[in-house]
Amino acid sequence: MPDAVFVVQLDDLQGFVVQKRHPTTLILSEKKLNLIFYEHQQDIEESLKVSEIEDMQIASYWDERHPGWFVCYVLRPDDDVEMIREDLTSSARFILELMKEAPDRVDLGEILQRGSGLEVLSEEQLFASIFLTPSTALLLEKMQEEGVERAAKLGIWLKDQIQSETIELREAMAPLMDAGIVKVEMIGKTAEVVFLLKDVFSYRAPPVDSLSFALQSFPGIVEDYKQRVGAFFTPPPPSKGYNPTLPVDDPNSPIMEDRRKLSGILVKSLYYKILKALRSRPMTLAELEEKTGLPNEVLGSVLWTFESERIATQFKEQELWALVTNPTIEAFFPEYVLPLVSTKISEKQISQEIASRYLDHLGRTWSEPA
Amino acid sequence: MIRSVYILGEQGNIVYSKDYAKSESAESIVEFLVNLTQFLRTVDLEEKTEFMNLAAQRFFYAVKGHFTFVFVADKADDSSQMEEKMEQLVDIFIKDFSELPDPATQMDGFDAKVDEIAVTMVKVAILGYAGVGKTTTLHLLRGETLPLVHDPTIGVSIKKLPEEISTANIVLWDLAGQSRFSILWAKMVANAQVVIIVTDSTLENVLRSKKLVQLVKDEVPDAKVIGIANKQDLPTALTPERVGQILAIPTYELVAIDISYRDRLIQIIRRAILEGKAEAAAA
Repeated sequence: MPDAVFVVQLDDLQGFVVQKRHPTTLILSEKKLNLIFYEHQQDIEESLKVSEIEDMQIASYWDERHPGWFVCYVLRPDDDVEMIREDLTSSARFILELMKEAPDRVDLGEILQRGSGLEVLSEEQLFASIFLTPSTALLLEKMQEEGVERAAKLGIWLKDQIQSETIELREAMAPLMDAGIVKVEMIGKTAEVVFLLKDVFSYRAPPVDSLSFALQSFPGIVEDYKQRVGAFFTPPPPSKGYNPTLPVDDPNSPIMEDRRKLSGILVKSLYYKILKALRSRPMTLAELEEKTGLPNEVLGSVLWTFESERIATQFKEQELWALVTNPTIEAFFPEYVLPLVSTKISEKQISQEIASRYLDHLGRTWSEPA
Repeated sequence: MIRSVYILGEQGNIVYSKDYAKSESAESIVEFLVNLTQFLRTVDLEEKTEFMNLAAQRFFYAVKGHFTFVFVADKADDSSQMEEKMEQLVDIFIKDFSELPDPATQMDGFDAKVDEIAVTMVKVAILGYAGVGKTTTLHLLRGETLPLVHDPTIGVSIKKLPEEISTANIVLWDLAGQSRFSILWAKMVANAQVVIIVTDSTLENVLRSKKLVQLVKDEVPDAKVIGIANKQDLPTALTPERVGQILAIPTYELVAIDISYRDRLIQIIRRAILEGKAEAAAA
């Protein structure tokens, strides 16, 4: 375990601000903070770097989702960095997210002691981030219509849709590329082509695993639990119940609004950690605290959000929290693009080379590993 | 420090807003403020300024008539000072602007008044290549004894000017000039209201420094940029007029090791800050 840990923010006006430190007696110089910051400016990717600064071995973490922030560990002489690299990275992610969510509740000593951490963003979270940028969601819709399209043409289309000359196609496309939804490739010397490799569907699934677990382990809540889930998915008429597959054209429709809301929750890593814990089974606050390493106040506030968004429900008597709906985003094979490709070839909109490259990519993305 | 100022109307509509520094996601702040406005309709603050913490920030708010006034500030901010500033803001707005049929579109002159209230910190960045005298200029501004040995700056050195200018604290950012630190310059000049480009007045250095002028204009187009023709005591020094011609920015002479230049330099910075404010108001 490191000797000390501290969290620094580079504020545009005040400069380096040490937001948290453990132990509180730790003394840091401006030079040290400068050198750590400089180390991380040489690349923009998430990274944990180890540097020897003023007789201290410091491992510092930085990622692009928290610009200007870094978490640093003062290592012990006998710390084997490679052995603890993964733990330090995961704990730094946890600290930065918690600093964003509830800075007053960040207790660095306790976090180190408990070994609390956060995993790298899941595929589902990467999918969710698509729906948080309107231009990206728009591009996905366009790619669903086209399957394959030249980047230049997409760029012009996007500018026209957004009515802005300054929008960058690459920026709007980045979340789709990061999530593996599209692939961008140069075909020949001049044609940059975008291929749709996956499509995604976002919905509230019934909390099947949690219900099954309750059936086995919490028979006292089962009937009530089933009723609460049923009230959402199959309410008595005249309500039509939940059907996310109904086609909608209006971007402000309740289904689209709900998708944005759910995506906003999924991308928040601390929320996602709690959601993941509740997916398998109902839990008490104490169990959730144990499982997630999050302070009670943060859990309380996230669960309150879950309750108001009809994601979780509380069984007061049993002091249990359980999912009432399970926000889910799943990827599927976009089979509908195959006839599109065939039409595009026959109408000479794309070359044989582009079509064959597309089929290659689809094959590679969706074939079962040997 | 006050990071943003918001005035919301009865329906939670934003009548006025201005950002002075980066804060948490602006979109979620607006959503929060709309909810806050609705909530405040149900309580009586008795014309007092109250605050609440949200993540790393502190929101100070007051209600007068149909309007809700909000400062997004830091937790470390002195609440009595914030209350005083809030009273000033409320008074000015209610007296001169609240009766307008559409205050959101008829607020000429209000911006400058808000600046007077809200600007508590002004960032002045000092940029230039290695060895031109940036840190010496910083010492001069702070009235400090000059170190005998040259100790190159690492990254950035941030110090306050002992004097306030127009009731604002001046924060001086002395950026390291060595080429290995050039990757930091664009980030470090962010949000600067004034950028001082220091040259050693040699032709070679002044010509190179043109790149810095361009960088500053790209990164902080609203900042006031001034040139410093330092080391005017050396025989090879170009005149400040010539340096200014080459850099195409207003440029002033300096001998940073000569304490008699201190007041003059502070006046130059004061003028740049005031001119910058006037230009922002006119825009």
